[in-house]
Amino acid sequence: MKIAKLTLPLTLLIVSLALLGCPKKPPQSAPEAAPVAPAPQAPTTDVQADARPDTGADQVQVDPLSDPDLANLNSHVRDRGLLGDVYFDFDRAELKAEARERLSRNADFLKSRPEFLVTVEGHCDERGTNEYNLALGDRRATATRDYLVSLGVAASRIKIISYGEERPVCRDSNEGCWWQNRRSHFVVTGRTGG
Amino acid sequence: MTANRPPQRLKAGRAPGAALLLLALAAALGAQQASSPAPTPVATPPAATAPDQVTLVLQPGDRPLLRLAFPALATGNQQLAGEAGIAARELESALRADLDASGIFTIQGPAELSPLQLTGETAHDFEQYRSLGNEVVLLGELKLEGDRLVLEGRIFDLPSGQAILGKRYRGTFDLARRIAHTFADEILLHFTGRRGVALTSIAFYSDRDGEKEIYLMDYDGRNQRRITAHRSISMSPAWSPSGDAVAYVSFFAGSGPAIYLADIASGLKRPVVTSGSLNTSPTFSPDGRRIAFARSLGSNIEIFVCDRDGSSLRQLTYSSGIDTNPAWSPSGREIAFTSSRGTGRPQIYVMDAEGSNLRRITFSGDYNDGAAWSPDGTRLAYSSRQPGGQFAIAVSDLVSLASRLLVAGNGNHESPSFSPDGRRVAFASTLRGRTQIHVVGAEGGEPRPLTTDGNNYAPDWSGYPPQ
Repeated sequence: MKIAKLTLPLTLLIVSLALLGCPKKPPQSAPEAAPVAPAPQAPTTDVQADARPDTGADQVQVDPLSDPDLANLNSHVRDRGLLGDVYFDFDRAELKAEARERLSRNADFLKSRPEFLVTVEGHCDERGTNEYNLALGDRRATATRDYLVSLGVAASRIKIISYGEERPVCRDSNEGCWWQNRRSHFVVTGRTGG
Repeated sequence: MTANRPPQRLKAGRAPGAALLLLALAAALGAQQASSPAPTPVATPPAATAPDQVTLVLQPGDRPLLRLAFPALATGNQQLAGEAGIAARELESALRADLDASGIFTIQGPAELSPLQLTGETAHDFEQYRSLGNEVVLLGELKLEGDRLVLEGRIFDLPSGQAILGKRYRGTFDLARRIAHTFADEILLHFTGRRGVALTSIAFYSDRDGEKEIYLMDYDGRNQRRITAHRSISMSPAWSPSGDAVAYVSFFAGSGPAIYLADIASGLKRPVVTSGSLNTSPTFSPDGRRIAFARSLGSNIEIFVCDRDGSSLRQLTYSSGIDTNPAWSPSGREIAFTSSRGTGRPQIYVMDAEGSNLRRITFSGDYNDGAAWSPDGTRLAYSSRQPGGQFAIAVSDLVSLASRLLVAGNGNHESPSFSPDGRRVAFASTLRGRTQIHVVGAEGGEPRPLTTDGNNYAPDWSGYPPQ
């Protein structure tokens, strides 16, 4: 319990620092709290960040996809939709047409970054039993991996893991949430050659 | 919060069996010392007069309630104050709760018995208890012997005035509830031919402390304690038959759900099967030597079996569908499991423990999972999705394959597990909002919640503790 209490503020602090590090907007509260000194700092960074093109090499900035920090790398991949989630019908593990379309784009990205190792997480909505959902999530992750492999991504680069219904991205008990939880989710877990 | 007790505490919890002295009061019993395993009601059941106190809904086939007078435990000339007083009250309330929860008694306690004019003269007092319709009376006395509490309990048949059961128990104050549970189980054994389950435990998993961890609790929901601290996802606990260990699934190693074994006495955890992307749903063989589980081969999920230490891994099923959630039968000869073979929808099957002789058990509905054997091996309880999409607890007879609903409606009801006497079923339910462990009679009745803190899942009822 103590650790949990300590961890939350710490996490918030880290998140706050991360947000301050590359803000999309100047911090709203900063001018009120300290109107004189810090205000000019933040907008300067902001302009540079916004001016940076979405794709293509930036001479000054480090390529975010080369960031050795996997957490930073994954937030970049997520923000840019480079490895989008794939969604499933209730109780099913078959890939739908839009899932295949999404996966072909994911495969293109993975082939463009052959050094990335990824884990495919299989998830389920809360309906159904915990045990069967663990198996169903494994099926979903397997189907996802197999399709990527069929598109030319090396099988050795892809691990799968099923979380069943144990780690939902959305926690309400309605279809607005459930569809989001019936998914394969991608995480970059390393790079070849360490 | 009792959940954060270290596992070492569990050792203390199991040890008292030795410290608890159990002496039959032979003198008080004579030839009638109870040892008959057959159901032996001491008196004819009440005819039609259903008293107001009956709270259990009896289903067809259930035995009638026996009417028990249970006045306050006597303390003789001793004043049980302080620690002793607290222990005495704990003992008495646990004994009343155990007997009440057993479902075979209608109990008249001190309040109901207060109008009686008791003199202390046996024949007169027994006639007084009878006057309120009681058939048997439980008379108990609590005493102190040094730092130990002593319970002498006797049950008398009221029409004849004969003593039909007498026991004497002694233990330190911290064992007060255990003394009560032991006596209650003995009383149940006498009246039903089956030992009561007051000394059994239920394993489950919960997110109450943040991450999902494995917990244990007494059969009545008391003494809830956490036995894992992986700070990951830990789930699917399964008792070893002797109660010395719990197999479970955890994600903490990071490469997918894997099976571990928690030793209850030492708190030590060790891996059973961790290779591959998915190992889940462990179940022990009744001899405790093997574990059946579901395992992914990278493309499909099949039922496997291994020795308790993870060795001698062998595949039992070969199908293109999902095969998961095995449950070893009480006889050891069969394994029930869930398979989506054929239909693409999960249904319950039973096979011989070597993987042969497969037969489908469930035919009603398009989603049945989580089979649990009744201790006599004649029925399977499982989670069954209903037309509205909610899950109910269903029970199928293995001979006729007829199924009926045990708990349905007002939420999702999943993961049934029978008590070792077969009289009750624990399950996880959203009946009261979040998912909580509940208990219901195996023939029906009103589910009672055992947990309230966080979400609580997948109860697994232990076997009887070794005698």
